[in-house]
Amino acid sequence: MTVLIWILLLLTAAAGAGIVFSREPRQQVLAIAGNGLVLTLLFTALQAPDVAFSELAVGTVALPLLFLVALTSIRTDRKDPPRVGQP
Amino acid sequence: MTALLPWLVAAWLAAIGLYGVVTSRNYVHLIGCLTVFQSATYVLLLCVGYKWNAGPPIFYSHPPGTPAVDPVVQALVLTDIVVGATVAALLLAMCVQLHKRKGTLDPETLRPLR
Amino acid sequence: MSAAWRKALFGLGLLLLLAPVVGVAFHMPSFGDHPLPYGDAINEGAPRDRHVSNAVSAVNFDYRGFDTLGEEFMLVTAVTGAVFLLRGSRGEAVTSKPGTLPNRPIAARSDAVWLISRLSGPFLMMFGLYVVLHATVTPGGGFQGGVIIASGLLLLFLGEGYRGWRHIMHSTLLDILEGGGALLFALAGLAPMLLGASYMQNVLPLGTFRDMLSGGLMPVVNAAVAFAVLAGFSMVFLEFLEETRQPDKQG
Repeated sequence: MTVLIWILLLLTAAAGAGIVFSREPRQQVLAIAGNGLVLTLLFTALQAPDVAFSELAVGTVALPLLFLVALTSIRTDRKDPPRVGQP
Repeated sequence: MTALLPWLVAAWLAAIGLYGVVTSRNYVHLIGCLTVFQSATYVLLLCVGYKWNAGPPIFYSHPPGTPAVDPVVQALVLTDIVVGATVAALLLAMCVQLHKRKGTLDPETLRPLR
Repeated sequence: MSAAWRKALFGLGLLLLLAPVVGVAFHMPSFGDHPLPYGDAINEGAPRDRHVSNAVSAVNFDYRGFDTLGEEFMLVTAVTGAVFLLRGSRGEAVTSKPGTLPNRPIAARSDAVWLISRLSGPFLMMFGLYVVLHATVTPGGGFQGGVIIASGLLLLFLGEGYRGWRHIMHSTLLDILEGGGALLFALAGLAPMLLGASYMQNVLPLGTFRDMLSGGLMPVVNAAVAFAVLAGFSMVFLEFLEETRQPDKQG
């Protein structure tokens, strides 16, 4: 049990760094979902099922969806929208 | 050293979240880094309330009286996760409006009083 | 402040705080070993005094119910702010065509996508309802269940496309649920005062242990939270997706 918690803590640190170092917003969305999943596993290992439930529903579904939809609004909103093939 | 790991991981997450906010070139990326900072507080709170060889504070299958971890910090964290996502939605709405008015999302080019 | 100055200041702050943070880490209570008197008292007291088996829900809706009231109002405020920002500048014209990028072909929706979303969407919403109702018995509650129901509604968007989904979502009903949830929470706190008890004191009959409707006032407060969370998330999704649709006339 101790080894599991140490491994999950190190994975959490790595996932957090992964979010910060993916600079492109559309890449970062997947990093956010991955971070949500790792945090869910950590909270389950720390005997907190309510919190794990909440983090799973929010961090892997609701938050990446919000980011993706915001990015879509930003992309389709320009006065001269980008042609396909441009960021 | 391993006994310090939970606190050091929380401090690391806070530091790297703040580093992301300081060196960000896109406001949407900045909101993601704020999420990392929030998760530092969750890790800290839940690690404070942990007890070795204890179960979850749910007494449906095991009788009341079995050792369990702290439910107070869990209550704090679980409401915070949901509310944090809603605040991120508010910040993203502000980003959308900002992009409509200025056409860019770069903090470097969008200084105040310009 | 230019970028170089900002990074230098950040680096300086980090250097100054490094030693104190490590010092604090050494002085923190040892992981997993220190006494938790408040937690033990609640673990002992919640099944005995409130007849609930989920001590976390008992803390959320009864022992620290006032903090949850504050969190709920934070949620309602954030959702109101986001909706106000997005609705205000859009105008009242409503169309049902989603916005598109030029030169990008729109592929037809495959059969597997809408079939799976039509099969799983209602199950997801039912599961979310189950999680909400069994707040005081098993892990779950208004917060978790509300987000699950909102995800079920969004899964229907993936399957039906923008036009069909917009027919399903009634924006007025979501507004009513959102405000009604916050109002119900506040009223559930005021109702005990009519009977002479203090704000949000548990005055309803407590029910039997391990029953779905145990806990007195807790299922009412839990339902209020579930309404506000599910309507809040769905409204924010709706407003963001409305932003992506094509305006009727140019300009």
